[in-house]
Amino acid sequence: MNEFIVTLGWVGIYAPVALGAIASAIGCTTAGQASIGAILDTESGYGRYIGMSAFPSTFVIYGIVVMFTLNRQVTPDNGGGLFAVGLLSGIAFLQCGIQQGRACASAINAAKEKPEIFGLSLAPAAIVEGFAVFAFVFALVVSAGITGGV
Amino acid sequence: MKTNSDTYVMLLTSLPRPGPLFIAKRPPLSRLKLEQRLRVLTPEDAEKLSLIEKVLSWSLLPLGASEEDVLNRSQKAMEQLEDKTLRDIVKTRLEIRTCVAALRRRERGEPAPTANTVWGFGGKVGRIAASWAKPGFGMDAAFPWIQQAGTCLQNGDALALERLLLEQAYRNLDRYAGFHIFDFVAVAIYVLKWGILDRWARYDADIAKERFGSLVLAGLGSFAHISFEKES
Repeated sequence: MNEFIVTLGWVGIYAPVALGAIASAIGCTTAGQASIGAILDTESGYGRYIGMSAFPSTFVIYGIVVMFTLNRQVTPDNGGGLFAVGLLSGIAFLQCGIQQGRACASAINAAKEKPEIFGLSLAPAAIVEGFAVFAFVFALVVSAGITGGV
Repeated sequence: MKTNSDTYVMLLTSLPRPGPLFIAKRPPLSRLKLEQRLRVLTPEDAEKLSLIEKVLSWSLLPLGASEEDVLNRSQKAMEQLEDKTLRDIVKTRLEIRTCVAALRRRERGEPAPTANTVWGFGGKVGRIAASWAKPGFGMDAAFPWIQQAGTCLQNGDALALERLLLEQAYRNLDRYAGFHIFDFVAVAIYVLKWGILDRWARYDADIAKERFGSLVLAGLGSFAHISFEKES
């Protein structure tokens, strides 16, 4: 049983990076496809679309930071805590990344037709980012209460 | 095989936004360009799209097709469409045509069609026949424009009738477009909107002349450079 809890602990430590990387990959792909489409239909402003499609890449960075915060000697006492915080924060990053990719795709689609709303069109993506920041900050706060930390 | 969802994102962002109906002089892009962009769809999706277009586009109907042929074709297409929204889109458009067919029949002084006459599409056919004497066939709630269409027919105002019908079809597509941003339904809605804009644009005499010229040139092919009259 102890080995199983220790395994869960390791899963929890690595989950934020793995799920954050998946989130960024999916989000950037969705937004990237939108930017490629927009490039086909426009004559200028390509850099803006590509920049916008890189927006969801932050989730893997959040994942890495959470992983470093959770990284410690895994014992049967802290395995459950590490698993819960790591996995749940990772799932939050995953969902935020996928949805932010879609928000960015819509923003690119709108900004290509009306370049003057470029900044405003990013607001939904920024709000989604805010939710991920909540998950990130509170994962750091909660991880301080798990035994075995520095 | 279904098209990858990211492909729909790329395809739809590569398509220029269709302008407002009756204001835009021409569709936002040419048919050739539209077809080039649609090449990213899988053969199955392309086939589905072509099926919808064949049912809803008058120009793609075979010459001399009887009412029965058209209805059978529509029925078959409806059976092949799995998506409920697409079926609703096609159904509503065909029901609009059924209402107009009923208005035209009544305008010609024909009596209500009998139960075994094949003349219209959908479940409202029986109700329309039963309410033949009513100005809007009792369909005013579902189709609030029907009496106005009847007035246009009575006045012989074909242009106003065409405008009204295209507007209803376009508005119907707009209603569904809000729920479908990056999927196959959104692609189908775009192509159908393009069809409406193209149809309206063809009514413009100048554009028609230009198109006629380009069709003549295309028909002449490599002989296009030959001049038949002596140039002064």
